[in-house]
This record gives sequence, structure tokens and C-alpha cells, in this order.
Amino acid sequence: MRSLASYLSAPGGADSPMAGWAPRLKWAALAATVVVAVAFPYGVTSFWVNIATQALIFGLFALSINVISGYGGMITLGHAGLLGIAGYGVAIFTTQSGWALGPATVAALALCAVVSLFFGALAVRTRGTYFVMITLAEGMVIWGIAQRWSELTGGENGIPGVPKPSFATQYWQYYWFVLVVVALCTFLIARFVRSPFGLSLKGIREADDRLAPLGYNVWLHKLIAFTVSGIFAGVAGVLLAMYNNFIGPSDVFFLASAEGLLMSILGGIGTLTGAFVGATVVVVIQDWVSSYFERWQTLLGVVFVLVILFASDGIVGLWTRFVWAPLLRRLGAGEAAADARTAARSAAGATVSAGAAAATADGAAPAAERRVPAESGGARSQ
Amino acid sequence: MSVHEFWLQLLNGLTFGALLFLVSSGFTLIFGLMRIVNLAQGSLYLIGGYIGLSVIRATGSYWLALLGGAVAVAALGLAIERGLLQRVRGRPMSEILLTVGLSFIAADLALAIWGGDPQTLSVPNGIDGKATIFGVTYPVFRLVVLGLGIVVAVGLWALLEHTRIGAIVRAGVDDREMVSALGINVKRVFTGVFALGALLAGLAGVVGGAYLSLYPGADTEILTYSLVVVVIGGLGSLRGAIVGSLLVGLVYDFGQSLVPDLAYFVVFAPMALVLILRPQGLFGRAG
Repeated sequence: MRSLASYLSAPGGADSPMAGWAPRLKWAALAATVVVAVAFPYGVTSFWVNIATQALIFGLFALSINVISGYGGMITLGHAGLLGIAGYGVAIFTTQSGWALGPATVAALALCAVVSLFFGALAVRTRGTYFVMITLAEGMVIWGIAQRWSELTGGENGIPGVPKPSFATQYWQYYWFVLVVVALCTFLIARFVRSPFGLSLKGIREADDRLAPLGYNVWLHKLIAFTVSGIFAGVAGVLLAMYNNFIGPSDVFFLASAEGLLMSILGGIGTLTGAFVGATVVVVIQDWVSSYFERWQTLLGVVFVLVILFASDGIVGLWTRFVWAPLLRRLGAGEAAADARTAARSAAGATVSAGAAAATADGAAPAAERRVPAESGGARSQ
Repeated sequence: MSVHEFWLQLLNGLTFGALLFLVSSGFTLIFGLMRIVNLAQGSLYLIGGYIGLSVIRATGSYWLALLGGAVAVAALGLAIERGLLQRVRGRPMSEILLTVGLSFIAADLALAIWGGDPQTLSVPNGIDGKATIFGVTYPVFRLVVLGLGIVVAVGLWALLEHTRIGAIVRAGVDDREMVSALGINVKRVFTGVFALGALLAGLAGVVGGAYLSLYPGADTEILTYSLVVVVIGGLGSLRGAIVGSLLVGLVYDFGQSLVPDLAYFVVFAPMALVLILRPQGLFGRAG
């Protein structure tokens, strides 16, 4: 039982995060994830290591979409175009200009940043459905160039021969390389979305018309978020081009953008974990289920529709509702309610957090938060 | 560019614009009333075309194909609106994403049923010849497409401006709550408009299958052009769809003959310009 004093402390016990099970379990889960991720190539065949590599790359891509769609509330359907700018950039600079991989990567990311800035400047002038359509059209411009400007992009044949770093040419070395890069990027994105800037971005998501009178430059915030997001999509693009030793029009097509968004929604939009969970599910369907079931793309579409209809807070949201919250309740009756509420607020947990629903595109109240008050009343009466 | 080529590109642009209008008019109609961005519009186009292809193979008649493609896709639209979209009404992002999910499914099933090779619908006898116009020998079928575009434009205009249904739709665009408060069943009007938008997409598919060709990816391409059309013209505006279609058609065809590698890119230049100068589109309303 908790002391009476703890009930009188700040609501939700947010000032004593070490109390209760939630943070302990989270750290344990994070530690376990790190151990499993590092040791992964020792335990499984190359097939699964490659699947994990792709899940990490597309997880980063989904996370970059999350920055503007989940935290910023701007749904994009053209992000594969920005991924493609960096992917094609590194491919062209290494295979056609003969540059070393390092400078080529830097130049490709710089190019990606410039294009993101320009695309963002056009798109963030608008909201909602217009934003979706404009990002879609922007993505298709890149696809159009990739598909038609054969001299530069190889047209439908794409560009083969993109090298991997010399220290990561074997599949397991490349997995570790991707793991380190993606972990670093995830850390940076986590810092970004939790910074004061990230918080004002969430404010803009909830009510951008109210933040403007408060002195926030809404347009600039959105533009910066878009550009940052584009650069991280670019990192995923460079990793993808290296992984496949190839980049082609299908990598930047509308369906690739929609898949990225699907990953982020399927996992739980507005969460860091969700992006990787969603990416893993989609990559497994693409690479593994596809060898048993030819119509895997239909399956993806059906999953997409079902998630939209019945679980807009995604897998992480379902996990929170049906596993995490009940588990906490059982572990520490009274504490659990408070912790779940805390967790629900920190939507962007680095481990499985309770905030999954906090950023559903429609701004629906998160399920966990809706449930908790009722539970806590029950717990106190015990 | 010679005078001869100029006329040729002008005709190409106008007729391609007419095809774009068939797709984007449905798109803009659906958005205007329902505020739904139907990203499955391209899929409806492609499926309409493929159904037309099957009808031609079975019956040999292009006109039956036109009818079959349009009606079948209208029924499909009806089912989508009734079965799925009504469940997420009032959540614009869910509506968009639902149509994206449907376009995944449609693209894959179309590939499974009709295969991945490009297919072209054969133009029916009587309009498969060539005519000379402005000193250019030009396929009659394309001129028929232009005529069809004009007929549909006039038909939609008459429907919207001179019928009771049209009055309800226009009123619904302005103030949905007020219309339902007047005792009109807006829900049924919504379903009807969505089915009409789908019908236009299906019709466009059978036309486009003979004008261009049908292949996996054609759905997204035509969708992208329609997006550009409605962004330029203003979402929900019929006049915007007409002007936008012609503009995009002309820019595309002249672009293709002048800078073939960048034709796709050139189409987006006017869109960027409109976005900078008038974000709501040429005929769209602010906000």
C-alpha cells in the first residue's frame, strides 16, 4: 500500500517517476531489447538478420514520418520521395561521379535537406487534406524524375552498384552498422520531440490556430519539423540504397510512402516504439509471408483498413490497453493507476509506452487515459 | 516547334485534359460535398478500365464496355461508401487513409486478375479512323473523348445548377448541418454523390484504357494528375476541375514535346505557382 502522502503529491505522481513498476519494467524492457538486438545475428539465419536490417531501416523511415504526422499532426503521403532524394543522391555520387561513400552520403543528405526545405515550404502553407495531397504530389515528382529522367536516374532500371561501407560488407556487419546508425537517429529524434520545440509542435498539432496568437511562429515550426523529418527519411534512404546495393523508382513510389505511413500507424502513430513495431510487421509480411501467400499486398491493404476502422492507436495502443495497463494494475494496484497515467502522458516512450493513442490522427482521447480514472477509483477503495 | 506540331500538341493537350476532367470531376465532386479526399479514385479508374477490357473480350463491344465499366465501378463506390466510409465519417484523416488502404488492395487484386502487362482497349469501328483538323491528321477517337468531356461537363453543370438534387448538393457544400436540419437525408445524398464520382472514374478508365493504356501503376499516375488538377483548380469546384484539367493537359503535352525527360516535372510547376500565390486554388474558397 502507498502512504497517504503519495496520494497528496502531484497528480499522477509525475514528480516521483521511480516509484511504481512502470519505469523499472521499461528499463528492463529497453535493456533486454538492446541485448537481443546486438546478439541477434548470433542466434538466427541470414534471412532473419536481413529482415531485421530492413525493419530497422524502414522503422527509421516510419519514425521520420512520425515526426510530422504523429507529433506534428500533418499526414504525409510523399515521404518516400525524400527518402529517394538521398538514396538516388548517394547512388549517383558514388557510381556516376566516382566519389567516396562518406562525402557522397554527406552530399546526398545535404541535397535531401534542401529539397525537404523546399517541399516543406510549399506544403506547410496548407493543412489537413490539402497537405496530404500536396505531399503526395511532391513525392510523385521525385518518382517522375526517377522513372523518366533515364540519363540521370537510370529510369525504370534504377541505379545498381551502390557500395556498402568497407567495414560492413558482410550481412551481419551491415546489420550492426544499421543498428548503430538507427539507434543514434532514434535517440536524436527522441530528444527532438521531447525538446521544448517538440512540445510546441504537439501544441500545434492539437490547435495551431490557438498557438499563433500566443506568439508561436506556427509556419516556421512546421517547416523545421518537415525538414528534420525529411533528413531522417534521407538517412533511411542512404541505408536502404546501401543495403540493396541499388535504388529504383519503386523505392520512391506512392505505395512506398503509403507503406511508411502504414508502418507508423500500424505500430502506433506518435510513439517511437510503434514505428519499429509497424515496420517489423510490414517487412515480415513482405519478405516472409510473401513466400507462402502471393497476395501479400492485399493482406497489407486489409491490415491497413482494419487498423483504421478498429485500432487507430495501433499495436502499441492495443498492447497498452490489453497487456501493459492490466499488468501494471496487477503489480501494484494503487500505484499502477498513477503510473499508467504518467505513462499515458509521455506518449513518446523509448520502450513500450502507454501513450500510443495520444496522437491518433483525429486527436481522439487516448484509450489508456480514458480508462485510468475509473480504475484508480476502484484501486483506492480496496 | 512547327505550326503543324503546335496544333498537334494543342489537340493532344485538350483531349488529354478532357480525360483528366473525367477523373478529376468525380474527385472534386466527392470532395466538394463530403470533404473526402478519395485517394482510391485512381484505383476506381483502373478497375473500370480493366472491367471494360473484360467486357470487350466477352462481347466485343466497346460501348457495352463503357457502360459496364462505369456501372460496375459505381456499384463498387456505393459499397465502399456504405460499407466502409460511413464507419469513419467525420474523421477526415481516417477517411483518406481508408481509401489508401483500399488502393493497396485494388492494385494487388487487379494485378492478380488482369496481369502486369500493359493492355490497350481497342477503339470501336466508326471512330477508329483519322480526321484532318487544322491541317493535322488526328485520331477521331481522341476527338470523341474531347466531346465526351464536354458532354459530361455540361451534364454535371446542369445537374448541379438546374435540378433539385443539384440544389441539395450545392447547399450541402455550403452548410451540411443546415441541409440536414431542413429534413433532407444528407446521408443518402452523400452515397449518391460518391457513387456518381465512382461512375465517372469507371467511365474515365474505359476511355483512358483506349486513349493511353492500362497497367499496374496507371492508377497512381492518373490519381496524381487529378490531384494536381484539383489543387490548381480548387478542391470542390467544377469550374476549377475544367480549367485545371485543360491547363494540366496542355502543360503536360507541350512539356513532353519540348522537354521529354522532365514532362512529369513540368506539370507540377503550375501547381507550385498556384500554391505560392493562391493556396486555395484558382476557384477554391479560402479556409
